[in-house]
Amino acid sequence: MKRFDPHADNEGTLGFQIAPMIDVVFVIMLFFMVMAGAVKVENELNQKLPGTVETTNSADFTDEIIINISENGEVLLNDEPMDPAGKHQMPRLTASLMRIKQGGDSAKTPVLVTVISEPEASYARVVDTLDALAYAEITNVTFTLTEEEE
Amino acid sequence: MAGGGGGGNGEPEFQIAPMIDVLLVLLIFFMSITSAQVLRVDKGITLPVAEHGTRKDNTRAEAIINVRWEADKKKAVYTYDDKPFTDMTKLSTALAEAKKTSAKAGAKGTNPDFRVVIRGDRAGTARSVSLAMNAAAEAGIGDISISTANKE
Repeated sequence: MKRFDPHADNEGTLGFQIAPMIDVVFVIMLFFMVMAGAVKVENELNQKLPGTVETTNSADFTDEIIINISENGEVLLNDEPMDPAGKHQMPRLTASLMRIKQGGDSAKTPVLVTVISEPEASYARVVDTLDALAYAEITNVTFTLTEEEE
Repeated sequence: MAGGGGGGNGEPEFQIAPMIDVLLVLLIFFMSITSAQVLRVDKGITLPVAEHGTRKDNTRAEAIINVRWEADKKKAVYTYDDKPFTDMTKLSTALAEAKKTSAKAGAKGTNPDFRVVIRGDRAGTARSVSLAMNAAAEAGIGDISISTANKE
């Protein structure tokens, strides 16, 4: 590439040099390209807290799915053991939830899921479970803790 | 930017001006995606990973509660609006006030529904996050979002 030569201009004025500008732009672009690959994006898992609503219309009662999370990280779906603790991915729970969701869609009934966690269970495990629910496209999710013994 | 032209004898030649145009467009593209997606979160919090979460909706009015986990004390530290809260009742009052202010101001975004975003540390317990949810519930906010990262 052409480099800056201070003696090139006989009149002593410095003209705009295009080659170093392209060099700099290339370097900056490479920096941002590399940064773009490593950037972390913030996601969210949404849920609604249960509340009391006064209504005059009758409400349809649907089967409620309960997921229990124990302190040791074990996850139970309607009291049936799913994936063991230690793994971030939960393929068995995800597959079961997808089947339930498909069944609910074909029966045209909403799927309601309550996640009940032990108070000292890992928060990361709770998020793993909510992630599996998000993958199965189940949106009616409530999170609560087990009652503590007095 | 400068325009380009071909050579006088009809043969195509390398034009520097369009190349600079393209370079600058690429530069602006990568700058925008890098800076727009920077994770604005408390440095002391490592978010749990959830690949299937939805992209964060920044158009809604929200209150962000940071739940930092102090592993040595086995205790959660709650901060809202850069202020630490140890009493959950005070946190609840602050959230209720924020909800009221948001309703008066017509919310900061296009969607007027007020929500609470909980940014919990992955090392924390379910109880630590549940307490923040309780504070939101007591403030009359039922719309909760749990903040996660898309990758490790």
